[in-house]
Parts: sequence; structure tokens; C-alpha cells
Amino acid sequence: MNQMSYVPGQPPPLPPLTATFSGSRRDFFRLVSRGAAIELITLGFYRFWLATDIRRHLWVNTAVDGDPAEYTGRGKELLIGFLFAMAILTPIYLAYFLIGVEAERFKAFAGVPLVIAFYAFGQFAIYRARRYRLTRTVWRGIRFWMDGSGWAYAGRAMLWTLLTVLTLGLAWPWRAAALERYKMRHSHYGDLSGDFEGRGWEFFKRAWYLWVLAPLTLLLFPLFPFVYARLKAIEWRWWLSGIRFGGVRLDSKLPGSAFYGLYWKLIGWMMLFITAFGIYLFGVFILVERLVGKGADGLPQIEAVPNHAAFLAGLGLGYIVVVLSANVVMRLYLVRDVWATVLESVQVHGIEAMANVAAKGDLASALGEGFADGLDVAGF
Amino acid sequence: MDSTSPDSDPGLGAAGAAEVTRAVQAAPPGGPATYFDGLSNRRQNVTIGFANQLVMRSPDNFVSWPYADIRRVDGPNGTLRVSCLSASPLARLEIRDASLAEELIARCGQIDQNRLTRGGIARIIGWSLAAIASIVTIALVVIPFAADRLTPLVPPAMERHLGEAAVMQIKSIFGDKLCSEAAGQAAFAKLVTGMRRAAALDDSIGSQVLDTEIPNAFALPGGQFFLFRGLLDKANDPDEVAGVLAHELGHLKHRDNLRQLIHNGGSSFLIGLLFGDVTGAGAVIFASRAMINASYSREAEEGADSFAIDVMHKLGRPTRPMGELLFRITGKEAGKQPALWASHPLTEDRLARMRAEDRPPSGPPLLSAEEWKALKGICK
Repeated sequence: MNQMSYVPGQPPPLPPLTATFSGSRRDFFRLVSRGAAIELITLGFYRFWLATDIRRHLWVNTAVDGDPAEYTGRGKELLIGFLFAMAILTPIYLAYFLIGVEAERFKAFAGVPLVIAFYAFGQFAIYRARRYRLTRTVWRGIRFWMDGSGWAYAGRAMLWTLLTVLTLGLAWPWRAAALERYKMRHSHYGDLSGDFEGRGWEFFKRAWYLWVLAPLTLLLFPLFPFVYARLKAIEWRWWLSGIRFGGVRLDSKLPGSAFYGLYWKLIGWMMLFITAFGIYLFGVFILVERLVGKGADGLPQIEAVPNHAAFLAGLGLGYIVVVLSANVVMRLYLVRDVWATVLESVQVHGIEAMANVAAKGDLASALGEGFADGLDVAGF
Repeated sequence: MDSTSPDSDPGLGAAGAAEVTRAVQAAPPGGPATYFDGLSNRRQNVTIGFANQLVMRSPDNFVSWPYADIRRVDGPNGTLRVSCLSASPLARLEIRDASLAEELIARCGQIDQNRLTRGGIARIIGWSLAAIASIVTIALVVIPFAADRLTPLVPPAMERHLGEAAVMQIKSIFGDKLCSEAAGQAAFAKLVTGMRRAAALDDSIGSQVLDTEIPNAFALPGGQFFLFRGLLDKANDPDEVAGVLAHELGHLKHRDNLRQLIHNGGSSFLIGLLFGDVTGAGAVIFASRAMINASYSREAEEGADSFAIDVMHKLGRPTRPMGELLFRITGKEAGKQPALWASHPLTEDRLARMRAEDRPPSGPPLLSAEEWKALKGICK
């Protein structure tokens, strides 16, 4: 007893540390498959708690310098945020509808540009949802937090998107850099402020040939997963390498081929599901045809089968099973595996600058998450 | 006594300190743990001991937490991580030693109170089912009721705005090919005026023939209706066309467009709310929305048919020709489409109804032979 280990106040500079992910795939699988089942029973209302559980699993198994992070958000907060967002979005949808009708009087389909307003709202939601997630992220007893304005961010995002569209996507790297800069400069860990040093030009240098290849994938579609996986890998690496918190610098050595296997496995699973669904439907069809029997003219009533209630019920049931399985597999590969792969490539330099950070910053509401859910722009 | 002393010196009086010390000496041996005070991110290696409170000691700090306030929070496998209600919200104690962790858990009665238990999930499911039941009730009962009650409250001017927007869209879809051959136009005007008077509608009704092959006719909000040339081509005598016109006038009289707009808008919104952004829910949303809207639409069609039958009776003309025209266009429908998603009642059922209501002609013919010929040629 009383063997006290003494830690010096200011440790010497450390070699770069790697971030680690220790979550077991089996645990995650159990979590998302159980979650998908409850989501089905509740017709989707469980999504708030499932999203929370997924984040809790990912956060708590992510450790930097031996100390795991923690996600303190709760499903109920997301539900309340969603309800608030609905209360705000409902009159907006109504106003959108009425304005659309007025505009259509003068010119057919003039209501379409109003979609732009919803795009702006979506960007606002993305920013505010990130703010919610960040303020629920705790490491070593201190939370991350964010200031800045969601509307200022949405304005920037709109202008950059316009430029990206005008340049047929060439401006994308600069768009990403500018928006990331805004987000990171308004992100903080305690009294330590974040920054983003990734340059659009670096991103462009690494990824320009994918832009050239992109039209080719329309002709040669098996190329598409490769191009997309590589773009994602380059983007992650570029993004991580640009992140700064005070004197702490992140670096990533994620290889460009990091996601190939992952995406192809996902595609393989999806093909399997579609094939199984096809075989299942064929089986149901044969069964229902027997059930219907022959018509008055002695011929099989092929036409009547697809409209038979038994066939429709079988179709619905099969569809639900396929959708649930696809959801589980997608979360396993696109959320958990991507997270683990990316984390293992991260190196943290200058962690000693984070030795004594004081707590600061308040919690943000989940309203942004609610908007993101209502506008279908939610992330993980 | 102060329940905790978050940092530095124990903020206790001399007597209290003595008490704690005595307790520590009597308690079973503790062990090493990691403590974060929630005010700075400094990692403190402490030795914990089990006195009448949980005590944590390091060379420069002494903290005690009451057992009743200790709660488990997310920790990675093999680590017990706890917080304390009466300490700083983000203060954390991490214990890696399994036996030490068990020792602490045994002393804390309410350690798992914040955890989402099976009962908690059952409660989420229960509330979700209640919410689903309420949304379904609203979609099936409240919204149709509201649509019926709200429709008369919408000023006709606003309905006309809707109609003008719809006219613009129709012209851009089907082309701006209005049929205006003079003699045909005169015959059409005579027919419509006759029908309109019998239907007790004022002269704000506008009607036109569009030059397209599709055999159809439809009414728009605000008192406009269109007849397609395809329908005239298929018709054998004026009574057939008159029945269809009377049906469309029924829609105008009942303001069905506006009613369906309110109904479908409301039900779509509710169903979207129900399923949210669950991946793959799109097809479910689409199917259920189409089903609800189709059932509402079938009711409206039946109402318009009843109206058409009344008008034809008033004019002393047979109702059967209209049913025959429809049957000529669609043929037998049973088994050809899923009845649940059909926007109209089956044509054979409509024909049967028109036959049952048929009365021998008692009024004058609606158009002379020459006028009928001119109407057939209105698009020449």
C-alpha cells in the first residue's frame, strides 16, 4: 500500500505516438445487428439510440497516448433535437410549398431553384451536428468544443460549391481546404485551439488523375470502386495530416490502396444479398403460382401472381430482411472498418503540448443533429 | 461534511481529516488508478482506498467521492471508468486492475443507474409503438377529416393560383397544342355549358381540348379541366364524352384537387417523419404513401362518379355509355395492378355501377350529329 508513482510536471519531448483502436469487430457486429432489429420494430425511432451506441463504441475504443476517449452524448438528446428541428422545419416546408406555387405561376418548374435554400440549410445542419458531436467528445477529462456560426459556414459552403460546379469539380480540393479551415479554426480542446494546415493544392496534386479517370468509370464501371476508394483514402490522409491543436500535429501515412479491399468486400456482400433476394423471390413466385392455380381457361395465371396479397407480403418481408442485412454490413465496413483503418495510420506529434490543458467550452444542443436527420445529411 | 474536494488540499476541517485518516487505516488495501480531475487534462496516478468514501491520494492531491454518487461511464474493455455526481462532471477515475474494480463496484449501490438497461430499451420500443400508432391514426383519420374541413376555408383565389401553376406544368409536359377548330370549339362549348348548368357550377369553369394521343381527361384546382384528343378518338357518341365531363365537373364541384393536395401533403410529411433517414426506407415510404393516397383518391373518384350519375340523370341521358368508354380504354383491370395502389376503382366495377344506374334517355340529345362530328374533328 501507499506505493505512489510520481509523474514529473513537464515530461521530455516524446517520439510520435500512434493512435490505437481496440474495439472488437464481433462486439460492433452484435451492436449493429441488434440495433437494426430494434430499428425495425420501432420503424426507425431507435435510430437515435443506435447512432449514439455506435459512437460510444467507436470513441471509447479510440485511444491516444494510452488514454481512451469517451462519447457523452445520449439518444434522448438526439430525439429532442429531432423534435425541435421538426417544429422548425414544418413551417419552412409549408412556406417552401406556397412560394413554389407562386413561382410556378409565372414559369413552369420555377420552384426548382428553391432546392438551393434547402442545400444551405443542409450545410448549416452539417456544421451544427459536428458541433454537437465534438462537444460530446471527452479525452482525459476535458471536452472538445466549437464556436463559429453555422450560417457563416453555410454561406462559405454555398459559394465554394458554386465554384466547384462551375469548374466541373476541379475546385473541390480548395473547397475542402477552405471549409475544413473554418471548422478546425473554430474547434477547441479545452483552452487549446485547433487549426487546419492542409492546402487545396496538395490535395489536388495527389488526386488530380482521379478527376481525369472519373469519366472513364462511366464506361468501365468496375473501375469506379477503385477510383472512389482511392479518392477517399487520399482525402482522409490529407485531412488528418492537416489537423493541429496548439502545438500538437497529426500526421497520417494512409496508403492510397487502403480501402480497396473494404469496398470490394462490401460490393461482394451486396451482390450476395441481391442474388439471394432474387432466388427467394423466384421461390415465392412459384409458391404463389401454385396457390393461385390455373384459370378458367386452364392456363396458368402468371399475370395475377405479382398482385396476389401473398406475393406482396413475401416481397415486403424479403425486402425488409435485405435492407436490414445491408444496413448491418454497411455499418460494419463503412463505419467501423474505415474508422479502424484510418486510426491505425494516425501519428501524433508533440503530444507534450497537450500535457496541461485547462477545461473550457460549453455543451451544444442537438438541434443541428435533428436538422441533419430531417434533411438526410447526417454523418456518423 | 463536504462530499468531495476536487483538487489540491482536502477542504476538510481538522476533525474531518482525522476521521478520514482513521477510516483509511481500517479499510482493506486499495491500489493504483488513474484520475482526471475534469478541470485540466493532467493525468494523475493515484492510489485509491476504500474508506467510508472512495479516497484517491497522490503526493500533491487528495480527493474523496461518496460511494452513492459514483456512476459507471463508458470505458474500454478491461478498464472500469467512473464519474461522480457531486464532483466536476467530467472528472474520471480509471481502474485497470480487475479485482480492484470489483471491490469498488461492490461498494457502489447505484453505479449502473445511468445505464440503458433492457427495461430502458423496452420503454423506447413501447413509446415508439405508441408514436407509430398515433401517426397511423392521424394519417388515416385526422388528415382526411382535416382535408375535408380545411378545403372550404381555402379562398378560391388561392386555389386558382395553384391551378395556374399546374396549367403551366401541363403545357410544358404535353406541349402547348390546344385544339381550336371553330365548329368543334362551338360544339365543345355547347356540351360543356349544358353539363355545367346541370351541375350547378358557375361560368368560372374553364375547359380545353389538348391535342395528345393519350385517352384521358382531368380537372385542375381552381376550376379548369382538360380533355385529351385521345379520349375523343375513342368515343362513339356524345353521351360517352358527356359522362366523362360530368365526372370531371364532379371533381371541380368537390374541390378534390385541393383536398387531395392537403391530404397527400400531410400524409407524406407524417410518413417521412416516421421513417426518417433509415437507409433503404425510401421504398417503404414510397409504397405506404402511395397506398394511403391511392385509397383517398379512390374515394374521391367514387364521389365524382356519383356526381356524374346524378348530372346525367338530371339531363335525362344514359350513364352506361361513360362506363363503356372507360372499359374500351382500359379493358379488364382485375389482377393487372395491385388493387391497394390503384388511384381509381377498377373499370369493370365502375362499368357495373354505370349499368345499374342506367336509365333510358328522357332528355334531348346533347349534341346533334353535325356537332358531334365537329367535336371529333376539333384538333384538325
